[in-house]
Amino acid sequence: MSYLRQVQAIVWKDLLLEFRTKERLVAMGAFAVLSAVLFNYAVDRTAVRPQDIAAGLIWMTIVFGGLLGVGRTFHLEAQDGAFEGILMSPAPKDAVFLGKTLANFILLYVVSLLVVAVFMLFFGLELGASPAVLALVLCLGVLGFVSLGTLFAAVSSGTRMGETLLPILVFPLLVPMVIFGTGATGRLLASRPVAEVVGDIRMLGAFAVMALAAGALLFRFVVED
Amino acid sequence: MCAPGGGGRLTGPVLMAAPDTAPPTLATEDVVLDAQGLVREYGPVVAVAGIDLTLGPGEFLTVFGPNGAGKSSLLGLLAGSMRPTLGRVSVRGQQLDFGDVSWRRRIGVLSHRGFLYHDLTVTENLRFFGRLFELTDLDRRIPERLAHVGLSDRAGFKVGQLSHGMKQRLALARALLHDPDLVLLDEPFTGLDPSAAAVLRKVLVGLKDGQRTVVMVTHNLGEGLALATRVAIQARGRFVWQGGRDEIDTDSFERFYHEAVEGRR
Repeated sequence: MSYLRQVQAIVWKDLLLEFRTKERLVAMGAFAVLSAVLFNYAVDRTAVRPQDIAAGLIWMTIVFGGLLGVGRTFHLEAQDGAFEGILMSPAPKDAVFLGKTLANFILLYVVSLLVVAVFMLFFGLELGASPAVLALVLCLGVLGFVSLGTLFAAVSSGTRMGETLLPILVFPLLVPMVIFGTGATGRLLASRPVAEVVGDIRMLGAFAVMALAAGALLFRFVVED
Repeated sequence: MCAPGGGGRLTGPVLMAAPDTAPPTLATEDVVLDAQGLVREYGPVVAVAGIDLTLGPGEFLTVFGPNGAGKSSLLGLLAGSMRPTLGRVSVRGQQLDFGDVSWRRRIGVLSHRGFLYHDLTVTENLRFFGRLFELTDLDRRIPERLAHVGLSDRAGFKVGQLSHGMKQRLALARALLHDPDLVLLDEPFTGLDPSAAAVLRKVLVGLKDGQRTVVMVTHNLGEGLALATRVAIQARGRFVWQGGRDEIDTDSFERFYHEAVEGRR
């Protein structure tokens, strides 16, 4: 129970800080809306049906927008050496990682729902026959993404290149998430039967579990001396 | 007690008349901090070059030394925020092990940085760190600590709204929130005005009187000597001199300090 309370403390602190500063949520939300607007003008509707490419654009917007927020995970921690204070507490490093990942997940999941809503508006999409399954697909994809993002944000925050390094480290690892997320999202937006996306959902789930486990195991090697 | 390490007994005008006897040995159950053979290297640079240290309850060790002497590295090793290249550290008999970190409950650290979130309030900061330390009586403990450092009337203020002195007092309340056996202080008086320094001094005297064990690294000879029960001078990664506070003549200590640092002692 004490482990869960320590995870909860990190989540509470990160969300409270975000609520106060609105630093990351505003950046990610604005990016999502502006991207959808630009994509809307960039796509020639006489040559391609928006429904055919919307899923890919949704996931790329989530990835790029998410990096804006996840990349700054440790920005406020650097202020006044606060993260050092966390590391000097008896909280296990994996609890710290899980807490920060969960807080990032909550923020980015909200943004991903916003992204879908904005694309529906600009691309004239419909939610499809299984919105709950679509929400699950987003949930698993975002969880895998923030798990890797949080781990590599810790890596890049300790380097001179900082946030510039993060996409270089993370993008190659996001290929499975983009493939299965896009596949499932495209079919669900086209109201295809849920049975067609079960395989994609399983792969997204496996990706999320592996990314979360890898992050929890490796985080201590990143942040400890 | 500090065993002589790296330097000899002090001789010359700096010394008060002190009996030429070895420091009394602490019983095992009285040892709070035990560090043996500490070495820390950063590549070719040796920051800490073999330091032994044993302290009991109520002992206040002040470590003086010039910039680059390895004082902060020593404190990092004692705090468990960095691993020694060689040697070991135990607190209350529990060896600092990076797998099981329960020993961190026994250590409180006050750095020149506060480890505070400026967008959280004073109370929120203490509550957050209290929860990480698994403290269950925070509703009682937080107001007590804030009263202790004179910040009761700032409980609802964001840390970013506090003066430097207030932040430092809050950082001290954070460091002491979990009642650590060992308190480590890194330049705690830096940038404090006289009234803030007086509050900090009062709290630190209270720690000593309350049988806590304190290690403080500082450049401030006046504050350092006023609080210490034991003193060490660190240069080139090692203690070039250490001994009891009563072995030191305050008036000539500064001259002695410079001679010791320059290797003329």
